[in-house]
Amino acid sequence: MNKEDLFQQISDNVVEMEDEAVEELCEQSLRQGIDAAETINCGLIPGMDRVGTLYEEGEYFLPEVLTASFALNAGLDILRPHIKKEENKERIRLVIGVVEGDTHDIGKNLVKIMSESAGFEVIDLGRDVPLDRFIDTAEKEHCDFICLSTLMTTTMPGMKTVIDHLKERNIRDKYKVMIGGGPVSQKFADEIGADAYTVDAASAVRKMKELKGILS
Amino acid sequence: MPTINIEGGGSLSCRSGCILLDALLSGNTFSESPCGGRGLCGKCRVTVLSGAVSEITPDELRLLDKEEIKQGVRLSCMTKVLGDCSIRLPKKESGHRILTGGLLPEFDRDPLKGFGIAADIGTTTIALSLLDLESGKELFSASDINPQKIYGQDVLTRISYEMEHGTKAVADLQSAVIDCMNLLISRLCNKAGISPEQILRISVAANCCMTHMLLGINAETLGRSPYQPVFTEAKTVSAAALGLKAGKDTLLYCLPQISAYLGGDITAGASACRLFEETRTVLFIDIGTNGEILLTHGGRILGCSCAAGPALEGMNISCGMRAAEGAVEDVLIHRAVTLNTIGDAPPSGLCGSGILASVRELIKGGYIKKTGAFVSCELQPEPRLLIPDGSRRKAVLCGTPEISVTQEDIRQVQLAKGAILSGFTVLLREAGISMEELDLVIVAGQFGSHLPVSSLTGIGLLPECLSDRILYAGNTSKTGAVMALLSEKERKKMEHLAKQIDHIDLVTTKGYEQIFAQCMAFPIKAKENKHE
Repeated sequence: MNKEDLFQQISDNVVEMEDEAVEELCEQSLRQGIDAAETINCGLIPGMDRVGTLYEEGEYFLPEVLTASFALNAGLDILRPHIKKEENKERIRLVIGVVEGDTHDIGKNLVKIMSESAGFEVIDLGRDVPLDRFIDTAEKEHCDFICLSTLMTTTMPGMKTVIDHLKERNIRDKYKVMIGGGPVSQKFADEIGADAYTVDAASAVRKMKELKGILS
Repeated sequence: MPTINIEGGGSLSCRSGCILLDALLSGNTFSESPCGGRGLCGKCRVTVLSGAVSEITPDELRLLDKEEIKQGVRLSCMTKVLGDCSIRLPKKESGHRILTGGLLPEFDRDPLKGFGIAADIGTTTIALSLLDLESGKELFSASDINPQKIYGQDVLTRISYEMEHGTKAVADLQSAVIDCMNLLISRLCNKAGISPEQILRISVAANCCMTHMLLGINAETLGRSPYQPVFTEAKTVSAAALGLKAGKDTLLYCLPQISAYLGGDITAGASACRLFEETRTVLFIDIGTNGEILLTHGGRILGCSCAAGPALEGMNISCGMRAAEGAVEDVLIHRAVTLNTIGDAPPSGLCGSGILASVRELIKGGYIKKTGAFVSCELQPEPRLLIPDGSRRKAVLCGTPEISVTQEDIRQVQLAKGAILSGFTVLLREAGISMEELDLVIVAGQFGSHLPVSSLTGIGLLPECLSDRILYAGNTSKTGAVMALLSEKERKKMEHLAKQIDHIDLVTTKGYEQIFAQCMAFPIKAKENKHE
């Protein structure tokens, strides 16, 4: 199979959520001596991008995004060990987590999946994350974004606390703070001085690219 | 000041322009108004025999038939008193009403004389029943919207209010519910012709948050992981100390809680359905904004709660509305669309049972794929209901006023359905059994009783294989409150039962996300699924 057809098939099978087919095709790409990084960038990632578009258009929903991400990861697991040298290009780095007091993490996981498939580097702190850990991690890992998620009104004030602590430490401008989750709104984002809010995971990725001046 | 003469004796006066229902209520003469005087239920009918009252309103024209209008029947909540008038009240219901719960088990009553109140305090609705303690019969019941709603529709928003305003908020929330209970107690006592001092006992079944708020205990810890209640045990307190209208020595008993999201209302349900004596494998499910689920199997009772969201109650739905006049409650798609509305009024929106029926019919007709996405407009079956809606599609059920189901509406239903189905999937897995092994599924709660088996299985909230094993138990929270009111023995059983139920936390269950995702799929058989 020629390279272009192979990439197209990998992409199609990510969209169709066929993890076994993705695995087989990725193995085949290695046998054909195709550069692993190229297969990721021209096959797997375009497939996941299409999943993101389908999600935004309402064709796909949470289960499809999750299942497609399993297919994506199955492919990545095969290809990654064969990447000759980790590319040294500037990648968007973000720290993400569910704020302290809340354990609902499905929304956060969607943003993580979409961000990774867009090529961002994601540091996932999980759920019920102590607020200062977001800041400490962002400092240590030189992140561009701090992404905060919550499903509960009762834990929303923690998002403001993170921003307040950034201000107290005089590092507010070092990071873009992005928030999301069921009860969160643009109005709330404005009130607490967050840099961005989006209604769903797909638009979150677009927003981050926009804020970093990357055209999609 | 106008005087209202009541046929058969009595009169009262009120200011000109006063709502007739308010005048009657303040004169302690009348109390039937389940919708709270909003012109929705049509239960507060009176006949105006003569005198000066306001013109008939469109709401009344909708709810009253021609014959009634000719006779001068009016809804007292919509009628203003403009001058002296004479009215006739409806005949009092004779005899005792049977518990709407339907499922009141046999139990030993305490030997007592006097009256008692059994209260079911929900996040949305507060319902009280007046009982004769000696006979155990329910005399009257009354309900109203929980006035705490001004501090937030859901429990988390109300807890947020406590977080922001501390003790003042705790006091506000407590007095809102106490005031409402007092109003309902007055109504019930008037109706029965007794004084509130004759009430000897009060029992309360409520979710954990409502119990905290009733007792004036800050509920903040319920709103944050690890979601711990301040207390779970049963509480007995002085009704007078809470500010309730009752006898000065009257005690109020709150049913024991199981955990932060399995409250006294669920203990009540488990008790009313006799789950602790159950030798069969039984699934108990209370459907609402929060779905609470219990499973009995092999001598164990497992429980969990899941955030279904308000979609199943018609909220967060583009054409959603509460179950009121004009709400579509059932749908049939067969050659054309047939809509059944509450009160047979012109359709104005979809209530919870209506949205579920719509989705059921759209699945059955082949308009929706297993994943929940609409099929394309080109591939849709007859009758053609799907039209483009931005980059998405929607199903138009009625042209004017437009009532449609959007892709986002379907997603909301999937989230609710996925939450509940994943809840009992986890419980079954924990118990190590399959769906087919269930002997009985009990659907509890006022709301659940409006959802027919065809809708529950049609959207896959319950698997088709269980459709011959579903039992509707009605408002078991209230039934349990009644049992606790009447029997010391039952109270002791409940206290024992509440401690026995193992609470499973779904969110931290391993692999929950995948189970949840799988549970969002609609039940479409492969051969029907030609558009996939």
